[in-house]
Amino acid sequence: MSSTPQGTHSLAFRVMRLCNPSFPVDPPFRLDPADLFVGEDMFDDPLVASNLSPLLSTHVSTATDSSDMSFADRYLLHHPSDAMGFSDLLLLPQSFGAIYLGETFCSYISINNSSIFEVKDVIIKAEIQTERERILLLDTSKSPVGSIRAGGHYDFIVEHDVKELGAYTMVCTAWYNDGGERKYLPQFFKFVVANPLSVRTKVRNVKETTYLEACIENHTKSNLYVDQVEFEPAPHWSSTRLKADGLLHPADNLSAGEIVKPPILVRSGGGIHNYLYQIKLSSFGSEQVKAKRSNILGKLQITWRTNLGEPGRLQTQQILGTPMSCQEIELQVLEIPSLINLDRPFSVHLKLTNHTEREMGPFEVWLSQNSPHEEKFVMINGLQTMAVPQVEAFGSTDLHLNLIATKLGVQRISGIMVFDTIEKRTFDPLADVEIFVESD
Amino acid sequence: MDEPSPTSDPASPTNQFGSLNDLAHELASLEDLASRGSWRSIVDKVSRARSLNLLTRPHDHLIYLSYNVLALSKLRRFADASNEINTLDDFNSHYYKYETYPQLYPNRSGSMIPFSLRFIHAQLPLKLGNRQEGLDRFYLLLKFIREKIKEKESNNLHDSVGIWKRRENFVLNCLIGHHLGDKEFSLCLDLIKDLINRDYLDPVLVSKLGHIQMQIGDIEGAKGSFNRVETMLNERKNDEYSFLSEVQFRNLVNRNKALVYLVGKDYVSAVREYEECIERDHTDVVALNNKALCLMYLRDLSDSIKVLEKALERIPTIALDETLVINLCSMYELAYVNHSEIKRTLNNWIIHVAPDDFDASCTRV
Repeated sequence: MSSTPQGTHSLAFRVMRLCNPSFPVDPPFRLDPADLFVGEDMFDDPLVASNLSPLLSTHVSTATDSSDMSFADRYLLHHPSDAMGFSDLLLLPQSFGAIYLGETFCSYISINNSSIFEVKDVIIKAEIQTERERILLLDTSKSPVGSIRAGGHYDFIVEHDVKELGAYTMVCTAWYNDGGERKYLPQFFKFVVANPLSVRTKVRNVKETTYLEACIENHTKSNLYVDQVEFEPAPHWSSTRLKADGLLHPADNLSAGEIVKPPILVRSGGGIHNYLYQIKLSSFGSEQVKAKRSNILGKLQITWRTNLGEPGRLQTQQILGTPMSCQEIELQVLEIPSLINLDRPFSVHLKLTNHTEREMGPFEVWLSQNSPHEEKFVMINGLQTMAVPQVEAFGSTDLHLNLIATKLGVQRISGIMVFDTIEKRTFDPLADVEIFVESD
Repeated sequence: MDEPSPTSDPASPTNQFGSLNDLAHELASLEDLASRGSWRSIVDKVSRARSLNLLTRPHDHLIYLSYNVLALSKLRRFADASNEINTLDDFNSHYYKYETYPQLYPNRSGSMIPFSLRFIHAQLPLKLGNRQEGLDRFYLLLKFIREKIKEKESNNLHDSVGIWKRRENFVLNCLIGHHLGDKEFSLCLDLIKDLINRDYLDPVLVSKLGHIQMQIGDIEGAKGSFNRVETMLNERKNDEYSFLSEVQFRNLVNRNKALVYLVGKDYVSAVREYEECIERDHTDVVALNNKALCLMYLRDLSDSIKVLEKALERIPTIALDETLVINLCSMYELAYVNHSEIKRTLNNWIIHVAPDDFDASCTRV
C-alpha cells in the first residue's frame, strides 16, 4: 500500500458544510411605473388619473409577460413587498461559518474520480478527531462502494453532535485500486468549535424560598433565537419561572398582536437575557433535610435556534445554592410580656424544635456569660441552667425562661445557649431579642 | 424632433395620454430598453438626447435624468448616480413645479419630480456604505409622504391619496429590507406590524413575515403566519387579493408548507410540495430553486444540478437570478474537482443572455 503524493491521485474528496440555507436580502432598485413616467403630483388631476391608469396597467401586464424575453420584473415592482429585497429563493451556505458547542455538524462529502480510468475496490472512511476522542462517522468497508467510473462521484452526508470545544479535524480517507496499484488518499479538514453562550447565576435565599437568577450571554456572531430555557430542579425541589407582566402597547391592534408575538432574540456578540426562577422544597421530613444539606439546586437546559431554525442545545453544570441555615435545633420566642420592669423577674415563653430525623437531648439551656466587649443587663433569674428533656425527631417542646433585667431602656436578651448532653454539642440558635425595660 | 409647444388642454375630450410618448420624449423606447435590462443603452440614449438637445421641456429633462440615475444605479455605478442627482436643486424647488411654466403647462400645477428620484436619492447612500445618511433620508421621505397624504385628503383628491398611500407602503417595505439586511429583526417585526395595522395586510406580506420568522428561528411564529396565509386563500372572496392569481396563491401556500418541512429536515415532503407547485406553474422559479437545494440535502447532488440547469435553459429570463446562479456554482464546486471549466461555460452563456444589471461576478470564475 503506497501513500502517493497529492498530485497523482485519481480520486479527490470535495467537502461542503451543510448547515441550513438562508434567505438573501438585497433591497433592489424596483419601481412602480407611475413613479417614473410622470411627476409625483400628476394624479391630483382626476381626469389625468382616469386617463393614465389604463395606459400604465396595460403596459405593466405586457412587460411582465414571461414569453417575451423580458427582464421587466427586475425593475418593475410586481408586489409592494418586492421592495424589501427579501428573496424567497434559498441560498446555499457560502462559507464554512462558525460552529458552536451544542450544534450539529453536518457535511456533504463527495469523492470524485477526475481521471480517465475507472477505479476499483474503493473503501471510504470519515472520522472526526478532537483532543479527547476519535469518532467514526462513516465506514464503507462493510458495504463497499465498489468502483467509481471515470468522471464519476460518490456522495455521503455525515452528521455529528458537537459536544466538545476546540480544534476538530475531519479526516476523510479512501483506499482504492488504480490500475493494479492499491492507493491511499487521506484528506484533512479542520475547524474550531467555540462556546456560543455563557450563563451567570446568582442564588438568593429569602426565608424558605430560593431564587435563582440566570443571565445568558450570546457570544456568537449571529442573533440567537432562544427557544427554551428550562430549569430542571434536583430531586425534591420544584421550580417556577417568574416572568414580568407582558408589556402591553395600547396601540396594539389585536389582529396584529395575534400575528406578531415578540420573539426572544438575544443580540450577537454580547447580548444578554435574564431569567428568574423561584425554587422551593417539594417534599418534607427527612428528604427535605437531605435536600437542604446537599445544596444542589439543579441544571439549566437551554435550546436555541440560529439561521433558519438551526437548533442547538446545552446544559449547565449543577447549580449550587448557598446552603440553607440548616438548623438542627431551632429556638423560637413565642411570647414576651409587654411590660418589663426594672429588677422584676419576667418569663419568656420559648419553643425548641428538633429539625433532625433523630431524637435529640436531653438539653441544658443557659445564658452565656458576659463577654469582654459586651456587658449583659438581662440574666436568668434563679437556677442558671435549665434542664430540658429529650425531644423526638421533628418534634418540639415548650420552655419558660425566668429572666430579670438590670438596666432601663432598650436591652437585649442574647446568648441563649442550648447544650445537647448526649451529643455534647452546643447550639446558639436564637438571634438577639430586644426588650424595653421600664422603671417600676 | 419636437418643437417646444404647450401641451393640449387637459380638459379636452381626447385622451392626451394615448401612448407613453405623450408623457415624455420617446418614453416608449426608454421603457422598452428598461424592460430588456439594457441599462447601458439607456445611459447612451440619455447622453445622446442631451447632446443633441432633443429634450425641450423641463419634465422631459427630469424623466430622462430619472432614467439615467436608475440606469447608473442598476449598473452599480452608485457614485455616478449620486453625482447626477446632486446636479439637481432641492426637489421641492419651484423650478420643478408645473405652475412655474404656465406657457408650457397651462392649467397644471404641482411637482413634476418623478417620485422614484426621491426613492433613489434615499437608497443610494445605503449602497455607498453610508448607512446613517440613507436611513435618515428614508425616514424623512416617509414623513414627507405622510404630510402629502394629509394634504391630499384635506383637498379630497382621492386618486392622489391612493397613489401616495401606495408610496408610503413602498417606503415602509424598503425600510424593512434595509433593517433586515442589518439584522435588526425586532425593528423589522415592528415595522411589519405597523404595515398590517395600516390595513396593508395581504397574503404576500404575511408570507414574507413567516419567512422572516423562519430566518430568525421562530418556527412556531412562522407556522402561525403561514396558517394565516392559507386561511386567506380558503376564505377569500372574489375580488380580494386580485393581484394574485389562483395559481400564484396556491403555489404560495404550497411553498410555505415546503419551507416548514425543509426546516424540520423532512426534505422528501418539501420536494413533494415544490413539485406540486412546478406542476401547476412551470415558471415558479422559487419552487425550482428550493427543490434543487432539497435534493442536495438528500444527497442527490447530480439531480439538484440538473434541476437548476434545466430551469436556466427553459425559462432563462425568469431563472436568471443571482441567487440561483450562486447555488448552481456552489454545486459545481462540490461536484467537480476541475470546476472552473464548467463555470466558465455558464459564465459565457450568462454574458450572452443576461441583462446589463446582472452581477456576473456571482459565478466566481
